[in-house]
Amino acid sequence: MYQIISYNFVYYTLYMKNKGLGEFEELVLLAVCILEDAAYGISVKKEVEKHSGRSILLGAVHITLYRLQDKGFLKSELGGNTEKRGDRRKRLFSITDTGMQQLKAAQEVRQKMWQFIPQLNPEV
Amino acid sequence: MSTKNNNRPSIIHWMLSKIIHKSQLEEFLGDLEEMYEERASNGRAHANLMYLVDACHLMLGFSSIRPFKTQNNTLIMFRSMFKMTWRNALRQKQFTILNVIGLTLGISTCAIIGLYVHDELTYDAFHSNGDRIYRVNQPNIWGDWSSLSSTTGPNVAVALREDAPEFEQVTRLLGLGAQTVTTSLNETHSNAFKETRFYAAEENFFQVFSFDFLVGDPGTVFLEPMNMVVTLETAKRYFGRDIHPEEVLERTVELKDYDGTWKTYTVKGVLADLPTKSHLQFDVLVSLKSQSEMMEAHGWKWIWTAFSTYGLVKEGTNIDHLQEKLQALPPKWAPPTTERIFNQSFEEFTKGYPWKLDLQPLREIYISGSPSVHLFGPTGNPQFVKIFGSIGILVLLLSAINFMNLSTARSANRAKEVGIRKVLGSERKALLYQFVLESVLFVFVSTLLAFTIVHLSLDEFNALADKNISLLPHISNPAFYGIVLVFILLLGIIAGSYPAFYLSAFKPIETLKGKLSTGFNGKGIRNGLVVFQFTISIALIICTFFVQKQLAYTSALDVGFAKNNILQLHNIEQFGFNTEALKTKLESNPAFTKVGKSYGLPPNIWSGDRYKAKGDENVVQLSNVRTEEDYLDLLDLAFIAGRNFDPSRPNDKYKVVINEEAAKTLGWGNRSTFEVDSPVGKILKLASGDEDEFEVIGVVKDFNFTSVKRKISPLVIIHHHNDKVWDYGGGLSFYSMRLNPEAINNSQDLQFLLENLEEELAELDASIPFEYSFLDQEFENTFRSEQRMGTVLNLFAFMAVVIACLGLFGLAAFTAEQRTKELGIRKVLGATVSEIVWVFSSEFTKLILISILLASPLTYYLVDKWLEGFAYRTSIDLWVFGAAAFTALTIAVVTIGYQSVSAANKNPVLSLKDE
Repeated sequence: MYQIISYNFVYYTLYMKNKGLGEFEELVLLAVCILEDAAYGISVKKEVEKHSGRSILLGAVHITLYRLQDKGFLKSELGGNTEKRGDRRKRLFSITDTGMQQLKAAQEVRQKMWQFIPQLNPEV
Repeated sequence: MSTKNNNRPSIIHWMLSKIIHKSQLEEFLGDLEEMYEERASNGRAHANLMYLVDACHLMLGFSSIRPFKTQNNTLIMFRSMFKMTWRNALRQKQFTILNVIGLTLGISTCAIIGLYVHDELTYDAFHSNGDRIYRVNQPNIWGDWSSLSSTTGPNVAVALREDAPEFEQVTRLLGLGAQTVTTSLNETHSNAFKETRFYAAEENFFQVFSFDFLVGDPGTVFLEPMNMVVTLETAKRYFGRDIHPEEVLERTVELKDYDGTWKTYTVKGVLADLPTKSHLQFDVLVSLKSQSEMMEAHGWKWIWTAFSTYGLVKEGTNIDHLQEKLQALPPKWAPPTTERIFNQSFEEFTKGYPWKLDLQPLREIYISGSPSVHLFGPTGNPQFVKIFGSIGILVLLLSAINFMNLSTARSANRAKEVGIRKVLGSERKALLYQFVLESVLFVFVSTLLAFTIVHLSLDEFNALADKNISLLPHISNPAFYGIVLVFILLLGIIAGSYPAFYLSAFKPIETLKGKLSTGFNGKGIRNGLVVFQFTISIALIICTFFVQKQLAYTSALDVGFAKNNILQLHNIEQFGFNTEALKTKLESNPAFTKVGKSYGLPPNIWSGDRYKAKGDENVVQLSNVRTEEDYLDLLDLAFIAGRNFDPSRPNDKYKVVINEEAAKTLGWGNRSTFEVDSPVGKILKLASGDEDEFEVIGVVKDFNFTSVKRKISPLVIIHHHNDKVWDYGGGLSFYSMRLNPEAINNSQDLQFLLENLEEELAELDASIPFEYSFLDQEFENTFRSEQRMGTVLNLFAFMAVVIACLGLFGLAAFTAEQRTKELGIRKVLGATVSEIVWVFSSEFTKLILISILLASPLTYYLVDKWLEGFAYRTSIDLWVFGAAAFTALTIAVVTIGYQSVSAANKNPVLSLKDE
């Protein structure tokens, strides 16, 4: 297992046990999916901001990306350096199969529950 | 494109690289960079700010060090202490701001003074053998033998080489006075420069002193005559701004010798511009061998005191022993001088005046203050260093006291906090830590602010004090941080310890009952501290007042002649000895009412000789100056007895005019005895050589011909055509002109006149530099450094007063709060607003009055001591003390006035209701 910094010991241990998906984590995961091969810190931040309409700090995005990677929902590799970044590489994230499953599972749970809201489904 | 990164604070960059793990650093920096570029289009300030925020967020989110998430008890305690400090600071904003401002002012004043003192004390530190270099001083044989002279005769070095093997090297530097150098830029064009910092050095000069050579070989440059070493700045002046040091080598310049012939010197070395912190300051050095003729003729003399003699002692030499041993040299080597020149044996010559040689360590030369003048560079003033040093410490003390005072004062409000903490089981030690940490944090924040202020204000200070101090070299020095850290801890602990012990000693039951918050007793000590603060502030006010008074007094002092409106032309000696034609030309100018030649100008007449009255064997030291009758008229000197030189009597040129002081010194009585027994007609003799005689034809009223800092010395005025004196026709000469106020009544006229003069003189000889001065300005210049320091002193005294007032303001605010209820009850019972203001402010006024009583005798003593050093001293008037007392009281009343009036105007219903 590769050495990752203990950026948040509490979260780490907690989430490794039950691999749930938080609300913000879900948004980030969705953004990574949308962006396909171009998902890195800033693009994810912009994507989430665009759809959710709220302003997000870069650090929050990074923390979440790494947390999702620890959970095994994302994988990453370095690449795609541009002049704009002072010739530094980006860490490009992409979703793993587990990640996709998790996303789908979450979506399914919601779909199911949606169906049982009487106000929204008068015919049931 | 790493250059783009210059805009971002590099310290953030550095911190990120320390805190963030390597594997993530690259992408984070990249992201930050990208975001910055995007945001920069909407304004750079915003982009910078957001860069900072994002960077901090990342640092917190990804740091491998997690101080606030630890389980370590001590750290948790510290965290809680920080939190408490922060909350307390916020809760009492007024106190916090007063505390920080007071401390910041105190620390910045102290830091500036510290930098100044450090700068003054570390002169000549760059010589690699500096700790082994000594200068040889001797008594001031031309005047006051009890004071030291920085220069010796040439033979001293010869004696040292011969008889003192403890010296590895002995080297001499010879002052050559002002020199005229011309350089030819091309065939037709040449430039003339007047060089005043122009000396001759011996071949081993650069083996003793380590000046930085850009080109040239320090070991050989002075082996040959007619060799020259210049500083880079001088080279640029001579050969053009953009010249390279290598191109200067082997170039030649022409130098006008004292006999008017031109000699050619070759540049053999270029030095980097000299460090400002060197007591030796020169533009040009030539090899002493170039003066071999003069050295052969006069090298045996002990009285040709134009040399500074420096020795490099061998390692491990005992200086005390060496110094003792050197005392055997003058009796052995000086007799030829006294016998051949003064017709006296060494014993006779030095009777009552021991001729001692004194070794002075190189690094003490600048600041020691004795000898008071260096021929070859600047002299520091140890008095300024002492005065400023003590002010720095006092101001710091004042602000520390402020801090203590305010902390204990507001402690009443924290008594409950202490009580609760103790009840909940806090140890006294933990409380101590809490308070000391608070104070250290305050000092830390203030120190950071103070250094920012110092950095921003140093330029102003440098301009004011004529220094060249910079904070930057210190910042790169690790020792500096050590000192600052120790300073912060020390000041924090000292300032915090009293409140800490005081507060932590509260008994929980009593504080919780509320006893301390009403009748608590730190008052005596607080009042004592206020008295101490104001004593110092008032003393400073009085001292500054007297410094200013003394400065005003000396600058307005009657120098004994009309010193205004006199224009002086320099370099006249270069026109040759006979300058009558020039004089006629000057006299024909309607702008001048009088023109006169002299071989010396007040306040810089330093020549002198040994004389005696005919029929009296007492030898006395008299100053002398050569001039003509017109010059005495021009100065408008008052004759007490006799008359001026008369051009119609040819024999007058062998006669002299003396001043009153000279008559007194020669034993010819004073003004009141002149009528009975006039000095006119008496004979004055030289006490050396053939004992030439001079008849006195007149006595003038005393006038200042050196600085107004000195008493007027006895003076002999010799006619410049007297061909019997040894220096007949030699030396620097000047023309002085009294301006006609009707012809010259504005600066444009003056400008026009000067331009005209320059052209006229250039017609006579274009190679002679045009140089002029005004007599009154020259007098002003003699105490410029005192004036400068007077201004700096004003500034620091002002700081001290401001700090003391901040403390008083804080204390008044606190008392107003404490006494709200009392004042409310008084008001309910019928007291008027003015009565309450009186009751309230009288408590503080009393303290100020006590301070005045303490400060007055103290300053009287100090000012009296300081004025002892002046020949002409201002009187110590009592009204100054009155004025200072009044000033202090006014300031204090204004400071507490706001608090007292607002306390008195409070609605008693509100203040009594408050529970």
